[in-house]
Amino acid sequence: MTEIDRERTDALTRPKLAFFGRDVGAAEIRRHLLAWAPAVALVVLCVGFAIGDPQFASTTNLRALASQAAVPLILATGMTFIILQGSIDLSVEGVMGASSLAFALLIHNSRTGLDLGIVALIGGTLLGACFGAANGILVTRLKIPSFMATLGMWSISGGIAMLISGGQPPQIRDMAMRMWALGDIIGVPHLTMVAVIFVAIGYVLQSYTRFGRYSYVVGGSEEIALLSGVAVNRHKILAFTFGGLAAGLAAALESSRLGLGHTEIGADQMFLTLTAVVIGGTSLSGGRGGVIQSAIGVLILTVLANGMIFVGVTPYLQKAVQGLIVLIAVVAATWHLRHRLRVVK
Amino acid sequence: MKNYNAGAFILAAGILAAGTQMASAAATCDKQNIRFVNSMREISQPYHGDLDKGGRLFLESVGLRDKQYVLQLNQGDSDKQVSLMRAVLASNPGCTVFNVEPNNLPAVQLMVQTANETGAWIVTHWSHPDGFFPYQGNDHWIAHIGVNSLDAGISVSDNLIKAMGGHGGIVALQGILDNKPAQLRFTGLQQELAKNTGVTLLDQQTANWDRSQAFPIVQSWLAKYGDKIKGIWAANDDMALGAVEALRAAGLAGKIPVVGVDGIPEAIQAVKKGEMVATSSSDAYYQGSIGFAMGYCVLTGQVPEPAKWTNEQRNFNLRLITINKDNVDQYLNPPPASAYAGDWACDKIWARDTGPAD
Repeated sequence: MTEIDRERTDALTRPKLAFFGRDVGAAEIRRHLLAWAPAVALVVLCVGFAIGDPQFASTTNLRALASQAAVPLILATGMTFIILQGSIDLSVEGVMGASSLAFALLIHNSRTGLDLGIVALIGGTLLGACFGAANGILVTRLKIPSFMATLGMWSISGGIAMLISGGQPPQIRDMAMRMWALGDIIGVPHLTMVAVIFVAIGYVLQSYTRFGRYSYVVGGSEEIALLSGVAVNRHKILAFTFGGLAAGLAAALESSRLGLGHTEIGADQMFLTLTAVVIGGTSLSGGRGGVIQSAIGVLILTVLANGMIFVGVTPYLQKAVQGLIVLIAVVAATWHLRHRLRVVK
Repeated sequence: MKNYNAGAFILAAGILAAGTQMASAAATCDKQNIRFVNSMREISQPYHGDLDKGGRLFLESVGLRDKQYVLQLNQGDSDKQVSLMRAVLASNPGCTVFNVEPNNLPAVQLMVQTANETGAWIVTHWSHPDGFFPYQGNDHWIAHIGVNSLDAGISVSDNLIKAMGGHGGIVALQGILDNKPAQLRFTGLQQELAKNTGVTLLDQQTANWDRSQAFPIVQSWLAKYGDKIKGIWAANDDMALGAVEALRAAGLAGKIPVVGVDGIPEAIQAVKKGEMVATSSSDAYYQGSIGFAMGYCVLTGQVPEPAKWTNEQRNFNLRLITINKDNVDQYLNPPPASAYAGDWACDKIWARDTGPAD
């Protein structure tokens, strides 16, 4: 990309501020504050819970937190690109179920005679990518809004998962894979390391590839992107495929950890992933945010869920607390925009 | 217009009256004409898989074709459970038997009413609304077979406390919080804890029947309570198995006793391996087939019509089986049809009655 292109892209991705009567200095400070708010919130939560129960900060719990964050990190990274482009992917849970079953049936298991080891992992991940690509094609070629297309794909992939499960979930018997998924090295769980590498790959994609930068452009204004000659459709399909790939990988890893192929392995994950992405600062209308922000959002939710157990919040209230935090985060993130005339989707 | 409406109303009323007349006459059906419908929530859990298998096993045992078997899944949607029932009753209602795992209590009422209206036959399991009974004139509601979830909770809790040697801390994984069997099982634990003061309940959370939710909760508990945890109680086997995996990640599988409820094959294997201590089974094969056996016996005239049965024969709790290391060997393999001959035979269909249900 030339200097001029980069400047143009930066102009498009910078948040739009009011034209009149604003001191640029104050606006810049406010923007930086907002960008750092999720990270500050994370630190506040951690400190708060550690004060509430010092065991929260023990190495055992840090390891538990790392382990609990692994799957959501992978899912949130995949979801980020889709949201950056202004679309949404509701099919995560179904795709995870189907990939989990596919992976479990390919690896050494209680139902089929196959024993494909790492190839099974690749297979499960690729199946997720295929569902993602299907989403992308539905959205770009058939012009179905992403909300509807992925909603339909949720049912389709979930149905396929149920079909191949057939009432007898396959148990994973490949002990090497199982113990790797459950194990850790120098205190860091293996799955967390995979998640961190995946987030790093996501960051590289976002900052150093055309796909990443154009995703911001497409999200900022799809019309301008089209008129500028950006291959919008191709990038959309890529984003959905990446999202599906993330779901497939996450499902295969979680299945290895739990020991079976499970149609409901993605239960609740869609809400949590979207929440994490939004809390982290990636706007649902697109064009703003990023992989690192989503990762911080994931950490906030993981710390919250784990911390509530430590502090002893009654299970009857935990869902309510989670919802409240999401609302507060969204309101805080969009507070500075509320008085402007703006379309709320 | 008014005349048309009046005429249509009278016609409809006439048909309904005629229909109900036919419904209350003793209907005997040709055995090749009976349709058996198993109505349950889903098929992805082993429990439901076994319900389905039990039903098919019954049909096989009386020499009927699989074509006469219908599986209805409602995915947790009560309206869907009722509308699926109505849909299949468009034809041959009088010779259709429903064996139902109701999604919730109102669904029971609606399905029984549908059976009464159309002349179909229904057997329900688990729970029914308070004060609503088969013997109150619901002639097509053959029977309700309840499960004493309180007993299930008590017996597995007893096994857990014994395995802990009577002292230590327990953590409890609850099922879906507003689900009656979940609440009753937990009450069973609380009763056992009241009797054994050496054992304390350190914490309780809900994992919503799901092992992938149970795993991180147990992980967090292990970080919070460390070796104060001497036992893990779970309201069902799926969550118990999730707890076992979390223990395995910490190198503790088999070292800390875990109990669950349901008796799924995976849990039975875990009991054999020593990773779980006990589970309680209502016997999914039995629950998935006994309604069919009862309906078959009624419709082929081998037992009197339900209106002539005793109250307890139409509303009883089935006998639970507690599986622990003492008896696990008999349950390791899927049962053959012959194992249930003693329950399906028309003179033995009440064999597992342990007392009236609420």
